[in-house]
Amino acid sequence: MSNRSIILFILTGCAWFALPAQDSLSTQKLNEIVVTATRNEKALGALPMPVTLIGKNQLKTMGSLRLNNVLTEQTGLVIVPQVNGLGNGLQLQGFDPDYTLILIDGEPLIGRYTGSLDLSRLAVGNIKQIEIVKGPSSSLYGSEALAGVVNIITERPAFTRGTVSARYGTFNTTDFTGDLSTTANKLGVYAFANRYSTDGYSLGTNTNKTVSPFINTTLQGKINYKITPQTDISFSARSLQENQAQSFVVNSNSVEIQTMGTGTIHDSNIFGSVEHRFSKMLKAMAKIYTTHYATATNLNVKPVDTLYYHDDFSQSYTRPEINTEYFITPRHIVMAGTGTILETVQTSRYGDENKRLQQTQYGFFQYEWLPSDRFQVISGGRYDHNSIYGAQFSPKLSMLWNPDNRFTLKASYGLGFKSPDFRQLYLNFNNTAAGGYSVLGTEIVVERINQLQAQGQLGALFYDLSQIGKLQAEQSRALNVGGRYTPSPGFYFDVNIFRNDIDNLIETQVVARTTANQNIYSYKNLHRVYTDGLEFNASYPLVKNISASLGYQLLYAKDKDVIANIRSGGVYSYYRDPATLETKRLSVSEYFGLANRSRHTGNFKIFYNNKERGWDASLRVIYRGKYGAGSLQGNVQGLTIPPSDRNNNGILDVYDNFVSGYFLCNVSAAKTVHQKLRVQAGVDNLFNYKDALYIPNLPGRQIYFSVSYSFSKK
Amino acid sequence: MKIKPILYVVLVSAAGWLAACQSNNSVTPALNAVTYNNLPADPPSGGYNPTNGAPIGVTNKFTFFSFSTGVVVANSDSATNKWDLGFRGTTIIVNSGTSGSGSTTAQVITGTFESYNTAPATGYSPDNRASANAPYAIPTGSGKGWYNYDYTTNLITPIAGKIILVKTTAGKYAKLEIISYYKNQTMPSAPTLTPNDRYYTFRYVYQPDGSTNLK
Repeated sequence: MSNRSIILFILTGCAWFALPAQDSLSTQKLNEIVVTATRNEKALGALPMPVTLIGKNQLKTMGSLRLNNVLTEQTGLVIVPQVNGLGNGLQLQGFDPDYTLILIDGEPLIGRYTGSLDLSRLAVGNIKQIEIVKGPSSSLYGSEALAGVVNIITERPAFTRGTVSARYGTFNTTDFTGDLSTTANKLGVYAFANRYSTDGYSLGTNTNKTVSPFINTTLQGKINYKITPQTDISFSARSLQENQAQSFVVNSNSVEIQTMGTGTIHDSNIFGSVEHRFSKMLKAMAKIYTTHYATATNLNVKPVDTLYYHDDFSQSYTRPEINTEYFITPRHIVMAGTGTILETVQTSRYGDENKRLQQTQYGFFQYEWLPSDRFQVISGGRYDHNSIYGAQFSPKLSMLWNPDNRFTLKASYGLGFKSPDFRQLYLNFNNTAAGGYSVLGTEIVVERINQLQAQGQLGALFYDLSQIGKLQAEQSRALNVGGRYTPSPGFYFDVNIFRNDIDNLIETQVVARTTANQNIYSYKNLHRVYTDGLEFNASYPLVKNISASLGYQLLYAKDKDVIANIRSGGVYSYYRDPATLETKRLSVSEYFGLANRSRHTGNFKIFYNNKERGWDASLRVIYRGKYGAGSLQGNVQGLTIPPSDRNNNGILDVYDNFVSGYFLCNVSAAKTVHQKLRVQAGVDNLFNYKDALYIPNLPGRQIYFSVSYSFSKK
Repeated sequence: MKIKPILYVVLVSAAGWLAACQSNNSVTPALNAVTYNNLPADPPSGGYNPTNGAPIGVTNKFTFFSFSTGVVVANSDSATNKWDLGFRGTTIIVNSGTSGSGSTTAQVITGTFESYNTAPATGYSPDNRASANAPYAIPTGSGKGWYNYDYTTNLITPIAGKIILVKTTAGKYAKLEIISYYKNQTMPSAPTLTPNDRYYTFRYVYQPDGSTNLK
């Protein structure tokens, strides 16, 4: 079936909800306020860098429960699993999930114990809006904000209102959510609770579940208090507890072992701040944020009940910061801030349970200059000093020009960085089974090599000792140029062209070998890659109450060293003909690029919103084009995943096997009665698309029903 | 889009016609590339031990091959000059130095089979197991010679773009490309204890006239 006929079928099949209508929901209003791009409140249309905003109405209409479900439907964002095939990380402008900073109310989320942050950890029920800034934002946020920033803005204390909702769906998935907000005089309070549980799902043929059953509970509370008319204090806390029941049949040297156990995640955040307005022109804020993340897995062999596997990881992050904003004049605004970050990690993965520590001091500034109402320039920079990898300066310059009311042109250039994470510094992993190799962090590898040498067990050393054990931050230089054309309200075209040049990419590399031929891997700054491409978004009000939108991203993500190698006739410049297995010369244009990146991704959405009659509905079609699977070490079901490279040149070229492109279709419809009672039904993955081997994080078709009740005294 | 393949076909047939004309006028006849299928290189008859990964039922003997006859030479002729290359597991020996009585030398070169129409005059080595750096003319080890070894799947794959050039004891040149290490060129898609490995399929061009022409 061709792609076109699939879309046509979806359109005709889903046309039932196109009911008579009166009021249109435009997916992105330009006067909506966002805070992430400049750290202060700005109208979305006045920002000189690419920003995507997902508002509460859209979230409600989509009916999504977890953050990964929301983000996967946005142009240019791809949800990708981790190496083991599980988890839901975010790929942005072709960057791996490790390179996008995830914030909740402006403060970072931690718990990337394999590099990627699992977005399914985050409930959607308390989210007011989600802001996504594309392009490096290290000039304001420091490390990790290399590809961009996702900021989840949760609800704040407002007038008295509340919501309770319940939902049931496929895989015995239940979700109960409640929130309450109230204000009295100078005091504001907001509380949120969510309980989510699922039986998980199985994609394979054996008894192991792809995702094991789990329950998680999220609690959040916020209090605001106005001490004086000029001074606000606020305090908030959030906690997540997840318990997973695991049951696996493990194949160990052809013997099947039944293992059972538990996996737990605990995640908590506490935030406090004091804000004082000295005058209309000057305000300052002091804040402190602390967060803790812990996860543990225990598997026992059944029926004898001996410990088969244990793994624990615990991380903490504390950050005090002061910042100030000063309006010299309304056309000259400056902002500056300084703070300290204290991070610790304690885990069984580093060979001992010793606490590892790193500390960062930072300062940042930003200057906004509006020479005219149609032109503005924002410049800024941040200096970070880390106790392990040293200093880093990240500047950024952005410009916006409105030649007339229908056109906006934007350009921004900035530097981003990601400091080496704890895993790259301290990992102490020895695989006793498969060949007996080890992976050692850079802070311990030299000591181990010296030990082996003293014991006469060092077989070969592939680098000079002075070249091992030093890591620099990964860096990118990025240009984003784009614009928007708005022929009429609700109708726009938006284009952004991007180019990211990344240096010092950290990769594992064999650095030494023992006399018993066991490889010792460590981390090195090796690769230079680039990603470039184009993002296109358009929205059009089809008829009253119905708007359609189209999104598309073209992406090239390639390794510069591989390209140079192919040009010079090196090891990557050959491939084996798939039919004859004979070697042929590969040209640069036949090199496809980095694994796990689709050249084409896109989405097509129709939103229907009739406030008067209380109906809303949506049809969303998401496309991910073909991509190559990297060298994966087997997924959770014990299946070995054949890498896409089938002609053994170690790179992805057009003659390799690719994971096929696919469409997902999600539909939802809801009826609201008297603005209080809301009933919603929907289907995610309507056509039940599955790929057990390569996309284990994509469950099949899921049907759900939900009921919610809201009240408010406005 | 449609113009390109048509143009290509036209160009290729034109080139083929030109080549045919040239070879009619040429004195030396074009050499044929020969493919040798499934040369057994001491395959483990009982597969591999699930506990320690050791091969079961191997003889530890090399299988010898001669370019001039294009067939396998009996193992009892190991001390003669009748063979050029010996295959056992991933190791390929040449008949010289520490491996044999002859003076066969070899080298591994990066390129395509077709790109070596003339054998290089220099760069060949004999086997010399006393050498710590280069015990074999055709280096052993993953990524060093003709193959890569994937420790997660235990599979051996011949590296694309590695061509073995040989100068035999009789001073004749040959070029060889290894196509597959698995029986009937079927590499298992997943780890197995009976992978049917140690069966070489290779193609070669042998120049019997003593010149370096390998076209």
